[in-house]
Amino acid sequence: MTEIKHHAYLFDATRCIDCRACMVACSVENNIDMDKTRIWVAGLGVTGTFPDLQRGTMVYHCMHCEHPDCMSACPVGAYTKAEDGPVTYNPDLCIGCRYCMNACPFGVPHFDYDKGIIEGAFIDKCTFCPQRIYNGQEPACVQTCPTDALEYGDREELIAKAHARIAAHPERYIDHVYGEFENGGTSYLILSHVPFAELGLPNLPETPVNEVSEQVMEMTIPFALTWGAILTGVSAGVAMYDKKKKEKAAADEKVEASK
Amino acid sequence: MKLNITLPKFLRIGLLPTILIALMGIAFVVAMMRYAFGIGVISDLSYSYPWGFWISFDLFTGVVISSGGFLMAGTVYILRIKEFEPLLRPSVLTAFLGYIMVAIALLVDLGQPLRIWYMMIHWNGTSVLLEIGICVMLYLTVLAIEFAPVALEGFKLQKWAHLIHKFIMPFVILGVVLSTLHQSSLGSLLLIQPAKLHPLWWTPILPIMFFTSAISVGMAMIIFESSLSSRYFQRGLETHLLTKVAKGIPVALTIYGLLKFGELAVAGELGYLFTSGTMSVLFWAEILIGVVTPIIWFSIKKNRESANGLLTGAIIVLVGMILNRFNVSWLAVKHPDPLFYMPTFMSNVKYFPTLPEVAVSIGIFSAGIMAFGLAAKYLPVFEDEHPAAAHAGD
Repeated sequence: MTEIKHHAYLFDATRCIDCRACMVACSVENNIDMDKTRIWVAGLGVTGTFPDLQRGTMVYHCMHCEHPDCMSACPVGAYTKAEDGPVTYNPDLCIGCRYCMNACPFGVPHFDYDKGIIEGAFIDKCTFCPQRIYNGQEPACVQTCPTDALEYGDREELIAKAHARIAAHPERYIDHVYGEFENGGTSYLILSHVPFAELGLPNLPETPVNEVSEQVMEMTIPFALTWGAILTGVSAGVAMYDKKKKEKAAADEKVEASK
Repeated sequence: MKLNITLPKFLRIGLLPTILIALMGIAFVVAMMRYAFGIGVISDLSYSYPWGFWISFDLFTGVVISSGGFLMAGTVYILRIKEFEPLLRPSVLTAFLGYIMVAIALLVDLGQPLRIWYMMIHWNGTSVLLEIGICVMLYLTVLAIEFAPVALEGFKLQKWAHLIHKFIMPFVILGVVLSTLHQSSLGSLLLIQPAKLHPLWWTPILPIMFFTSAISVGMAMIIFESSLSSRYFQRGLETHLLTKVAKGIPVALTIYGLLKFGELAVAGELGYLFTSGTMSVLFWAEILIGVVTPIIWFSIKKNRESANGLLTGAIIVLVGMILNRFNVSWLAVKHPDPLFYMPTFMSNVKYFPTLPEVAVSIGIFSAGIMAFGLAAKYLPVFEDEHPAAAHAGD
């Protein structure tokens, strides 16, 4: 395997046979209960009218966004985006606010609703199998996939590969690689024969959803300082005006009295 | 045999306090269950709906109804309009209790309540929630300082009360800045959801919308709390002052309404006003109840000058604006596609608050009402009852 600069996945919905071996592999590799799996398989069932029948399956886990919204939202910085792709979560910092779940447009992070404060309730999501990828292996879900619907490699190379595949079989694919630009780019790329919305993927612009919120946050401290200065000025001004008024009233009284 | 039980004097409490204590007890038991077995045991929150009734009611509503505190502090201390002084203490008390309730509710809602102080040391500058957390902590401190003179006077420590009063200005300014930030940042909290929040509500100026609506809610809340406590404690009502407060409500609401429709027009989203089904209905309900009706109501002089007219108008504003907070934080948030959550046993794409969930909020709210009542009874909060004490601090 060549050296990978930016770890990424490529999922090809036309190749997936809905066997769900990836779910099992992920659970075994990461020691996760099956009902809290980090990878989910959504079967569309058979669609269309005979004889133009189609079936579609969507496999997804964390999209490992280039500009992660979970990371932008987390108040205590429990998320990190590695320069070479993976977005990871640190349970030691998490306060359990679940703002990342609100922020993620893909609805990926999930939470231990069944745990009290003694066991500790945490967020969980795909880690990109760091124990494997940094030892020259593929992530567990990719390695186990029997039809190569899930592939792993360098992001640039996978994007080129995806476009080449569309070019080779234009009749088979929708001419778009989901995740190349969506939400500012993701490290989980998707090829499909049915519209991406049907696979349950949100229609996202090329700017990450956290853009406006981050811009507003940048203005916060300058705004607070300006507003504080204005209020101090106003209160000093009003105080001076009051004092002068009182002095004037007192002076007037004196004049009145002396008369 | 006739059973004759005489309660000792301190146990003889009225009906309202008894009910409030019972509700607090229920909330306490439910909260203990949540700490022992997890949030899922008592609530309907799920992967699709990580935030629900607690956030809409305890955080969003709790914060907005506390906005009277900074309005009055700013009016009396910064603008030095001293005639409003009788309204200052009840508003600061409401804000103080409101923020304490918010903090308690967050301790139930957070997955790791014991780590809430992590927000003081681990900072992620891009997070709106961090700003909110820090604002709540700092503003609670400021409110405690602003309220301290009242408590100290109640305990006959006039000297200390006077000392705090002397150095109150920086805290008042800090309080107004923190409130401005905090009221508006609750709106910013939803900026990260352009893909989830309905376009009738999602706009880049959400923070400004939240701030302008908080001002009208603050004024309504001042009227509301003064009216209710005057009824319960049978004391005089400062109708002439409340009339002046009520004059401000139509102004604030008009600005809010213009901003709201102006933004929709600029964004080219006016079409959604009639084409979004339930969302359009919710939007119009919130606008008609919270904006249009109160503008008309408080523009009529008779309503502004009678105790009943004031209270009714204030309630209309509160209902409409609380509906707005519920819409923005819950009802207008589109849940992800059900298909996306294929293993249906894992997720719940519909959300409706459970009884225990609501019980927690009601219990915390009851504690707030109880604390307000006790403070109003034993501390010099309302001026006319304790004329000597109230002026000692000036």
